[in-house]
Amino acid sequence: MAVTFTLNGQQRRYSGDPRTSLMDALRCDFRLTGTKDVCGEGFCGACLVHIDGVPKVSCLLPIGAVEGADVTTIEGVGDLGTLNPVQQAFEDFDVVQCGMCFPGMVMTLSHFLQDNPRPSRDEVKSALVGNICRCTGYERIIDAVMSLHNSAEGRK
Amino acid sequence: MDSANTDALFLRPTDIKAALVAMDGGAVPVAGGTWVMRASLRGDSNDQAFVSLSQIDALHEVAEGEDFLRIGALVTHDHLADFARNLPELGALTQAAGMSANPAIRRTATIGGNICARGFTAADLVPALLALNATVEVHSSSRQDTTPIAEYLQARTQRRAAGLLTTISVPRKRGHSAHARALLRKAGEYPIANISAFIDMDANNTIKTVRIAVGAVEAMPKRWHSLEKALLGQPFSADAADMARDLLDDFTPRDSVDAPDWYRLRVLPGLVRQAFASITDQSREDA
Repeated sequence: MAVTFTLNGQQRRYSGDPRTSLMDALRCDFRLTGTKDVCGEGFCGACLVHIDGVPKVSCLLPIGAVEGADVTTIEGVGDLGTLNPVQQAFEDFDVVQCGMCFPGMVMTLSHFLQDNPRPSRDEVKSALVGNICRCTGYERIIDAVMSLHNSAEGRK
Repeated sequence: MDSANTDALFLRPTDIKAALVAMDGGAVPVAGGTWVMRASLRGDSNDQAFVSLSQIDALHEVAEGEDFLRIGALVTHDHLADFARNLPELGALTQAAGMSANPAIRRTATIGGNICARGFTAADLVPALLALNATVEVHSSSRQDTTPIAEYLQARTQRRAAGLLTTISVPRKRGHSAHARALLRKAGEYPIANISAFIDMDANNTIKTVRIAVGAVEAMPKRWHSLEKALLGQPFSADAADMARDLLDDFTPRDSVDAPDWYRLRVLPGLVRQAFASITDQSREDA
């Protein structure tokens, strides 16, 4: 059974073992290494991708389950010329340290901000419960997220 | 690997009958996948074929009846928390579904998987379902059975349970319920102990029905019958946590890397207090 799905806007086909995790297929077969392989248990959030627009852990999802789905990885949320707003805020606030957790954080926060464009700091913290940063730069990450709301206010 | 070889490794039936045929052939049922996909980390075999249940529409449905909430086995924690939010008597279910693990896992992990994951000791939904007196519907190739969840769990432990769990029915009885859990972090992980409580009181605030279930302390969640007996007929204002402290002998706690056995017991009275405080809040909102 070949698995066909949309990956970052393009139709793709996977002909390997459909029980393989989506994360392994993305990294090893499609060479999209922005999706990080860290805990392998669904708890660190480093492997988050959007499946039909919703963040899910790719390490615990067999690729056979994404047949017909729309998959977006960190490589698909922006481009080098136009970063996604969360990516831009992270760069502006110089929050990236080792970088392992940040793709997952961008995937979580991009989705979260669509539904909650004016979050409180506590709401941002709750949204990030499943994204662990071992460099522990959390407060600056939240500053960056809050700046998105502040800059949107400033543009009004 | 050519596609002819991979066809048999990942089956996607669209009805229960075809799923049962695949399971009879040795395929492992996969709901959200969050337990099955970690088999190798547990040292379990993961070379069997998968039968994905996600294409079976009926398993994704939640139906609110006057007397029961019927929940398809593939309903996710996230969906359940959202759906049950306006059903106050099912507070334990809403809280357990809404606090379990982390947001991304809650969007994927299912209620059926939570019940059926053999060896998973820290389920949040299972104690809630025990406290709410849920029943489960199980299909096999020759029959369809409805069983109290406690009996189903026992049968699974003894590897007597066969078939596919398809639906969970939760009675909508007068009363209030709550769920409390102890974590090592503030949020985002499995509990080292959890409690679900259902209480119904008469007009004088005397407890006339009480069910309390404890999870993550032993290998399998179970009812705390001695505490229920002690609380029955007592005023709701009685200090349930004090009573709980004297009745910890009901448990033989697990000792594992995340928490020692004694600690799992130590936190139980505090969890009883939290669950009762949540029920108090709900009662005030009703008044």
